[in-house]
Amino acid sequence: MSAIPPETAISMPLLSRVATGSRPSRLEEDVVALFDRFRGPLLRYLLACRVPIPEAEEIVQETFLVLFQHLRAGKSRANLPGWIFRVAHNLALKQMARAQRIAPSLPETHPDLAPGPEELASDQQRQQRLLAVLHALPEQDQCCLALRAEGLRYREIAEVLGVSLGTVANSLARSLARLNRADEFGGIHAAR
Amino acid sequence: MPQGDLHLSDQDLILASDGELAPPRAADVREHLGSCWLCRTRQRDLEAAVSDYMHLHRDLDAALPPAAAPRAFLRARLGAYKSEAERAPVWHSFPAPWRWSLAAGFIVVFLAGLALYVRRPLERLGTPVPSSRLTPGETRIVTLDDVCRLPESTRPQTIPATLQQEVFSEYGIRNAGPGTYEVDYLITPELGGADSIRNLWAEPYSGVWNARVKDRLEDRLHNLVCSGKVDLATAQREIATDWISAYKKYFGTNRPD
Repeated sequence: MSAIPPETAISMPLLSRVATGSRPSRLEEDVVALFDRFRGPLLRYLLACRVPIPEAEEIVQETFLVLFQHLRAGKSRANLPGWIFRVAHNLALKQMARAQRIAPSLPETHPDLAPGPEELASDQQRQQRLLAVLHALPEQDQCCLALRAEGLRYREIAEVLGVSLGTVANSLARSLARLNRADEFGGIHAAR
Repeated sequence: MPQGDLHLSDQDLILASDGELAPPRAADVREHLGSCWLCRTRQRDLEAAVSDYMHLHRDLDAALPPAAAPRAFLRARLGAYKSEAERAPVWHSFPAPWRWSLAAGFIVVFLAGLALYVRRPLERLGTPVPSSRLTPGETRIVTLDDVCRLPESTRPQTIPATLQQEVFSEYGIRNAGPGTYEVDYLITPELGGADSIRNLWAEPYSGVWNARVKDRLEDRLHNLVCSGKVDLATAQREIATDWISAYKKYFGTNRPD
């Protein structure tokens, strides 16, 4: 039994065996292939961590420019997915620190997925309640959930967030228990 | 959910679902789940929460802009970065504060190398090992018979004075006192060494590893070669490469008598 559906497991595009001094055009193609593979997961992760879409797009661009330099310098290709998420996470932290300096009270920009009041049906109410619980989670817990949802293993999540394995496990258990309770208290869980 | 000691924690249930438990603990958890309806139900509830979360997470896709424009933008930036990197000297790939440190480092290394090169022959003064640049060792074409049947009288006894002066000059030795150095063959003629300046150096008579010690090695190697115990080429190579190590090897001692 796996908590994460198989389609979210991380697969890698087939890359050339690029080493230092390899042809730059080949390297460029590899980076673009990785961009195609990871742009969606990275954007979803950044949005889940409450980074607005324009900034998230720029962070993704920066991440792949850093990746280009990393590969061009012939550095390690081990665990590239974890490496990519870690770089994006660090860039996001910098971006958020910058944004807080400029506008300390930035409004939350998580995409508004809730329907209008006139459209409320039971499923939508339930989704709203879950979203409310999700948004109320500590930011690190939300990032942790998003990374797991993108297929990262606990060790990789710990490396991206700079926390211990135990913290990752606690965070996931706590978040999922809260989401579960949100359903129980809404009385919808039994009707599913 | 409050749990008594008899039940699994939420953390264990999630770790088990994600295959993150160590094998012994995973076996315990499996065994417990096999017999505990409550924990199985809790695990299913957590799985349901995972499923709920995944739906919410995947809903984010609706908010993502199409990839074509960002991809094209990335290509353009990679292209610009690439041409900038190709135009800029390697020097510019280092952060500015590093450049001065690196420059200073290069200058120090260059000066040290220059000093070593200039002083090299002088540093060889009084050392028992020749300069591999000046005296790499050179052989003449000989057979084993030539080497082993060479009559005593035909062995070269002296090296011409002009050649000796040339060797001293090459090694930067001026006014060498009598009995201080022997201008010696690195590969002795008794092992096929050539009568060439590239096979000669000023070997000191003083010190632990001196000219007389090397003479003993030459005799030992000659005997070993002629008795078939050591190959001639091996003997030539070993004495030319590092005669002190050869001595230690063939005399079985780290220090000469």
